[in-house]
Amino acid sequence: MTYVRVAVFSLLFVLLLGSLLIAFPQSAEALETESVTATRNEDGGTDIIGGKPTRLSWEGRVGNNEKVMQIVINFPEGCELADDAYLFLQEVIMDDPMHPRPDNAVKHEYELTQESLIINFTDGLRPGNKVIIQVYGFQFPAITADYYITGTYVDDKGLSHILKEYSRPVSVIGGTALENFLVWLSERDWVKAWNSNAFCNSFLNPVRAVASVPTLFGGWLISVALVALGFPLAIPVGLGISFLRMSKLWILRFLSSIYVNVIRGTPLFLQIYIAFLGLPLFISGMDNFTTGFIVLALNSSAYLAEIFRAGIQSIHKGQFEAASSLGMNGIKTMFFVIIPQTVRRVIPTMTSEFILLFKDTSLLAAVGVFEMMMFAKIQSNISANITPYVVAAGFYLLVTLPLTRVISVFEKKLAATDGKEAPPEDKKKKKPETKRVGLFKTTVPAAVNQDTGNG
Amino acid sequence: MTVSKDKVVVSIRDLHKYFGSLEVLKGIDLDVMRGEVVVILGPSGSGKSTLLRCVNLLEKPTKGEIWFEDNLITDPKSNVNKTREHIGMVFQSFNLFPHLTAKRNIMLAQRKVLKRSKEEAERIAIQQLEKVGLSDKIEYLPAQLSGGQQQRVAIARALAMDPHVMLFDEATSALDPELVRGVLDVMRELALGGMTMMVVTHEMGFAREVADRVVFMDEGVIVEQGTPAEVFDNPQSPRTQDFLGHIT
Repeated sequence: MTYVRVAVFSLLFVLLLGSLLIAFPQSAEALETESVTATRNEDGGTDIIGGKPTRLSWEGRVGNNEKVMQIVINFPEGCELADDAYLFLQEVIMDDPMHPRPDNAVKHEYELTQESLIINFTDGLRPGNKVIIQVYGFQFPAITADYYITGTYVDDKGLSHILKEYSRPVSVIGGTALENFLVWLSERDWVKAWNSNAFCNSFLNPVRAVASVPTLFGGWLISVALVALGFPLAIPVGLGISFLRMSKLWILRFLSSIYVNVIRGTPLFLQIYIAFLGLPLFISGMDNFTTGFIVLALNSSAYLAEIFRAGIQSIHKGQFEAASSLGMNGIKTMFFVIIPQTVRRVIPTMTSEFILLFKDTSLLAAVGVFEMMMFAKIQSNISANITPYVVAAGFYLLVTLPLTRVISVFEKKLAATDGKEAPPEDKKKKKPETKRVGLFKTTVPAAVNQDTGNG
Repeated sequence: MTVSKDKVVVSIRDLHKYFGSLEVLKGIDLDVMRGEVVVILGPSGSGKSTLLRCVNLLEKPTKGEIWFEDNLITDPKSNVNKTREHIGMVFQSFNLFPHLTAKRNIMLAQRKVLKRSKEEAERIAIQQLEKVGLSDKIEYLPAQLSGGQQQRVAIARALAMDPHVMLFDEATSALDPELVRGVLDVMRELALGGMTMMVVTHEMGFAREVADRVVFMDEGVIVEQGTPAEVFDNPQSPRTQDFLGHIT
């Protein structure tokens, strides 16, 4: 009987104690969540964007009559952690509430996963103190929603308690304006109809196309930068080699012709491999980009050398004779008579070479240079769709088509200053043709016969 | 001519020129006096153009001597460019610099070779263009000029260098007949002004009227020479008679 009585009393005591705990304000008695926030991470905006790293902050205050040994924070479903995610923990000692003392050296162990954060405090968090928990590199799901962070904690008696939800949720925007637009776009009827065709979907999925534009644009800028640095470098080198090719000394002619023929006689692809595997052995600190545009420049210099040589040699003999007969020496003749005429003649062919070189930047993707082709490849692999390549093609055309136009404008100008507006059927012949014949990229210079008659 | 002729400007001695194994000039002897107009006639391939081009060394003589004033210019040590400053040449194909206006064509060598100031070169260019009757074409590009106008610019370009002798290599052969006269008029003016000239031409009328001496060449040798009256009216050699018979 006494046993039963003891048991009943004990039960009543526990119930009483429990009801007392519930009746008393929890702030004083238990760990309470004081705030849950996330840092805004929208580019130039004030919103918290899902699917993008942010910093999640949780702050709470330990009850007056307990120590906290463990805190478990549960993340909403679909949250992710960036590769470089990490935890920041701070206990704020509130012995003197007017002068809180932060302590960043709380002894603890923790486990951070996509689902939860578990922190075990070796010495416990002392009563009345504040605790600040921050997870860097935290990503909310890319879905517009309000998120409540829940959790539990364990006190020094080994009892587990539920963390009270914080009254205000974290409001997350599903994605950037672009991401929202993509969602909107994918829901259009015409897009659905278009994508229902396997061919249309594979080659030009509108959603994939729009989605790939920002990344590909970045890659396009790199491609443009490669050729914008490589080509100007190739011009003086090419001019120098063209002079060597016309040198009076056979050894210079011989060496320069080896340079030109080896470079023109082997694929750029192969030259890229040789350079990327070979150069780092001898020159340290060269990044992929630098190596990339140097290889392009060296390759192009060989073609430009031949373009310049053809241009100079296309100048009529009479020009040299006229300059000579006026007492001008070779250098003056070259500088004031021949080169100015050559420049005008080779500009169309040089522009063709520029176009070729620009397209050839794509080969650098094979050795890991992050240019447009590389990004297109990655995008295509991720989405299992060909669309990014098609968009990349558009980006290449963005440069090449206007330049093709420039060539024909230059040619018209050239024809005009020559005073011979070519008849329509002749114009086709005058266009500089750059074609690959067998091993060689052969360049036929524009307008070769300019002089009236001959002597 | 009223100008003194006692000074030899160009003196050619036993000049030979081979192109490969082909002997184009087979021992030429010729003196050109100051102020003299020598017209060289002959059928195509007779070597008359080559002879002219040897005088300013556009063709390198194989053998023989050429004296220009007091300099042996066939001497390898002589300064070719210096010599050419004083020898003006006019080509059949004009050879104007197509990227430069008429004025700038004439200014270029003045500036770069004679080191004249821009202002002086420009003044002389305009003056020379006026002389050849092209003062309204100063800023024209060669392509905007007719053949005859281009050739007159070429003459002005050569004259701007103050040459001691002018070489005309078939200066009118590439021109349409109606454009020939303008160029010949300029050449005639020049001759009357006392310029020493060596002229290769097919213009018999010009030769008869302007030449002090006519030289007839055939197959690399000088066959006959004399005053226009002597050569045209009373040719001694059968080859000269034959050539003139075909021309006139």
